Amino acid sequence: MNPVRRAALVVGLVLAVLVMVFATREAVRDRMTTHLVGAVAPPVAGITLDGTVWDIDDQRGRWVLVNFFSTTCVPCIEEHPELVAFAEVHDGSDPAVPEVRVVSVAFDDRSSAISRFFGEHGGGWPVLPADTGRIAVDWGVVAVPESYLVTPSGHVAAKVVGGVVRDDLEGLLDRGLAAVAGDRTGS
Amino acid sequence: MNGGPARTDWGRAIWLLVLVVVVGSLVVSEVADQAPRTNADRVHALAGDFACPVCQGQSLGESDVPIARTIRSTIRTMVDEGRTDAEVRTMLVDRFGEDIDYTPTGRGLTGLVWVLPVLAAAAALTGVSLAVARWTSGWPRSQEGSAGGSDGVGTSGNTSNRNLALVGVAVVAVLAGVLVARTAGDRTAGNALTGDIRSSTRTLLAEAGVAAPADADALYTRVLEIQPSNVEALAYRGWSRWRTGDRVAALVDLDDAVASDGAFADVRVFRASARHAEGDHVGAAVDLTVLDGLDAPPIVGDLLATSRLRQRIAGALASEGELLAALELLDSGLDAAEWVGASRQPERAALLAERGWLLASTRVPELVERGLAGLDEAVVVGPTDPYALAYRAVVGMSVPARADQVAADVQAFAVLEDPPADLTASLISLGLLDG
Repeated sequence: MNPVRRAALVVGLVLAVLVMVFATREAVRDRMTTHLVGAVAPPVAGITLDGTVWDIDDQRGRWVLVNFFSTTCVPCIEEHPELVAFAEVHDGSDPAVPEVRVVSVAFDDRSSAISRFFGEHGGGWPVLPADTGRIAVDWGVVAVPESYLVTPSGHVAAKVVGGVVRDDLEGLLDRGLAAVAGDRTGS
Repeated sequence: MNGGPARTDWGRAIWLLVLVVVVGSLVVSEVADQAPRTNADRVHALAGDFACPVCQGQSLGESDVPIARTIRSTIRTMVDEGRTDAEVRTMLVDRFGEDIDYTPTGRGLTGLVWVLPVLAAAAALTGVSLAVARWTSGWPRSQEGSAGGSDGVGTSGNTSNRNLALVGVAVVAVLAGVLVARTAGDRTAGNALTGDIRSSTRTLLAEAGVAAPADADALYTRVLEIQPSNVEALAYRGWSRWRTGDRVAALVDLDDAVASDGAFADVRVFRASARHAEGDHVGAAVDLTVLDGLDAPPIVGDLLATSRLRQRIAGALASEGELLAALELLDSGLDAAEWVGASRQPERAALLAERGWLLASTRVPELVERGLAGLDEAVVVGPTDPYALAYRAVVGMSVPARADQVAADVQAFAVLEDPPADLTASLISLGLLDG
């Protein structure tokens, strides 16, 4: 074969491989949102709406659902009843049901609006209303709502981008419980 | 030839001069491009080095979406804490992945962006060297062929091949240049010696703010071509279109602006006004209620106060039987604003007056009583508020014990400078004021 043609063929093949590789790569935004699962949960601490101090480190030994939301976001309003239902079932009153502490972290919002939001839509769990920008960045929050299920050992078990559905949360919790049980058995 | 060595020296000197100029320019440009000194400069530079996670083609510095603002704020905090640029970079890449970083690393697939240009340049250089070697080796043969009594076909063929090759190289060079220019991105003002210097979006927005409606529309559109999610451009283009009568396009822009950044206060006022005019008073009330939860600039409060938009929406809701929603809207305004300082008292008085009037208008004795109490408070807060005085006078007409107060309110109203014409007409029609 002519050396020039051979070189052209090699270049063409390389280009084809590159096109294939880049075309089948997951989207940038997907890659930006799929990290953190399996890692140690970043810090979540602050003053809640009712003025008490809340720190995720104090919740070790319990499952925690960290929910990032905003009162002006429609999916956040839509998911709220699902969160309320999930929190009620997992409030620790039934020994047969695993307890999950829910905490909401307001994103780019105001305390007065958040108080009104919870007054109207319900939900008695702790809410961090202010100075939450750094928390959101630490968790790599791209767009609210986002929720993270954190294991009793303080690791992120699952991440939900967009509004949560109670049944999906139950499924994630079941998988997390099974994984934790598997770890214990394994160890 | 006598001049041979001298010409060679001149040639070397010229090449040396070219080399000095090129190297000197590179050194000067590198030295001139010193690291930013102030923290603000560092934050600005860092924000330009990272992509906004939710935007298409915008850096953190260019984007107005909440997450970009939040990350910028975090960068500012870290810089103020004394963290290095490398630490900021590491933190952001850890949290949002390598794709947020506009400066690619040398690892993995990303490393190809560094390797491929070098390989391409090496291949191009090799190709050009081979071509040159071929031409120079072919040239004497063609000369000889010509000198040997050839008919000239060989020389002509070589020349045309050479020209063809040169055209090919030129085409490849131009295409490569275009490719580089397209992938290198636009240069912003003050950032380039050559290339397409574009106006910054901030400059365009400032120009649009003082331009005639048609020109403003074009300027906002230019901003949106650069930053499709620029909430300020969307909101103000929508408002500009609303004011020029293009209602459908205006509402699309305003909806897009809210979808882009629901926390941008200005667009909430614009859309509330548009929705109210379209008869969607409930939607308008939602926008104002959301606005009450935002950290709106004072000018937005002033705009609301002078336009009496909240009162007009509340009045419309009440007239449609949505008294509760109307009261909630007024209460939301009363709860949200910080009524510290004398400058905000007229606005507070106006809201209290409207609230009292709506309650009294129900004609339910208990609510009328509460309405009057509200009007009393309104007059205390704003003794010259025309609505508080007129409303209290009208409601007081049905309460014999308040006859003196009615007369005093009417008298106070009568001496106001330029009171609202509708109120004056109402008082005249009720016989409280002389025509």
